[in-house]
Amino acid sequence: MLTFRLPNVLNEVVRAHRDQFIRQTKPKNGVGVFVFPCRKLVFNYCERSGSSKSMMEYLQKSAIDFAKENPQIEVVVQPRPSRHPIIRAFYTNGYQKTKCVRKCSVDEIPEVVKSLRDHSGHKLRRWNKYVISDTPSVRGIYSPFHVNEVHSISDLKPKN
Amino acid sequence: MFTSRSIQYAGSLAAPISRRVGYLGGLRLMATESHAPIKSRSKAAAAGPTTYSALIARLDLKFEDPKTMEQVCTHKSYEQGRLACNDRMQWVGKRVLNLFVGEHLAAKYPNLSVEMLQDLQHAYFGLSSLAEVGRHFGMQPALRWESVVKEAPEVGLTKVLGKSVQALVGAVYQEQGALAAKDFVHKHILGTRALDVESIMQIKNPKLMLVALTKEKGLPRPVARILKETGRFTSSPVFVIGVFCGAKMIGMGFGSSLKMGEYRASKDALIKHYAKEIKDFNFPTIGEGEEADVTFFPPKYQDSAARA
Repeated sequence: MLTFRLPNVLNEVVRAHRDQFIRQTKPKNGVGVFVFPCRKLVFNYCERSGSSKSMMEYLQKSAIDFAKENPQIEVVVQPRPSRHPIIRAFYTNGYQKTKCVRKCSVDEIPEVVKSLRDHSGHKLRRWNKYVISDTPSVRGIYSPFHVNEVHSISDLKPKN
Repeated sequence: MFTSRSIQYAGSLAAPISRRVGYLGGLRLMATESHAPIKSRSKAAAAGPTTYSALIARLDLKFEDPKTMEQVCTHKSYEQGRLACNDRMQWVGKRVLNLFVGEHLAAKYPNLSVEMLQDLQHAYFGLSSLAEVGRHFGMQPALRWESVVKEAPEVGLTKVLGKSVQALVGAVYQEQGALAAKDFVHKHILGTRALDVESIMQIKNPKLMLVALTKEKGLPRPVARILKETGRFTSSPVFVIGVFCGAKMIGMGFGSSLKMGEYRASKDALIKHYAKEIKDFNFPTIGEGEEADVTFFPPKYQDSAARA
């Protein structure tokens, strides 16, 4: 005698075309581990011009130490004749930043280098919210000023 | 008439920098004579001798030789495969990566079916997602490859970049062992992304599926009840429907009609079941290494358990 069994509905899994799920999920820098955003710094100078004088002094004095302290950044020194000295920074997200240091003294150049190194690589933008979250709360961020029971210090019991 | 070479600098700058060619620490100095004029940005962004050591330092790897990294970033299409390429590393690395990702997903989502796990893995750890990871590392300018199509040099970049990341995992595995590879995968690839399981699931008939699921688990038949409603006879009603198994609510959904709310509530119940996450778990690979005294307790394979 033949028995009739209904097909298991739970096995009817709909598989969409695999390419539909190509997700460009970007890794969140800092969540698991931090990848330094600045990947390359290029120092361009001119040997003859006077505007490159402080740049050349910096390169001779502190550039090597800087490169040793930051092994994760590729430091490149290239002569660029008949041009003002510039520092060009390349970031992992494809962003580039260039800073001309023609007017900088020898003490100011390390600060410029530091600011380029510490830049995140994202364009400057205005954040209109003070909390940015993947899981935004429906009722808003907690505020201690908007609760019914306000905590006061006299509530603390003395240690006896 | 002074030429550029005869200019003397006073003080500490005795000789022009252009005369000194070589590597000093992390710097690469290029001679003015042999250097081609700087044409465009892409020239400045090309790979150099210190790119690979910088990449190693950025990822906190412990390769002794930057040549390993160079090999990781070299695809077989570069110079027709005459140089050391990442072929074999990629083959091994793909399997190593899939092992660690697979055991993580299988332990984390006990209720997902095999097809959904496969889709999840493909979406978040397939070649195009790994290409994003590679871009984040800064591997794209370090790649050495050639496109098949000469006129469009970017065609195939995603695939090559994804394969390079797999090759990187393989290189870590072969140079430093399984534990280091596992650590690398967990830190850089698994740990940095939040997985959205809901987007993977395509549920065609949620009410029918929910009835079958509750029957299989031995729960009472699901019943939909209105939790809240507003504007029933207006042009924009809102119903909040809950699906109950006995007295317990298993799913909740809203809609502009009762049917829609019930559909969404059933879908919500199914998603809550399938996308259930386990927070604390041990991997089968935990028994190796220093933590050898920790025993692994395998989870029940709830999805593939015998049907009642």
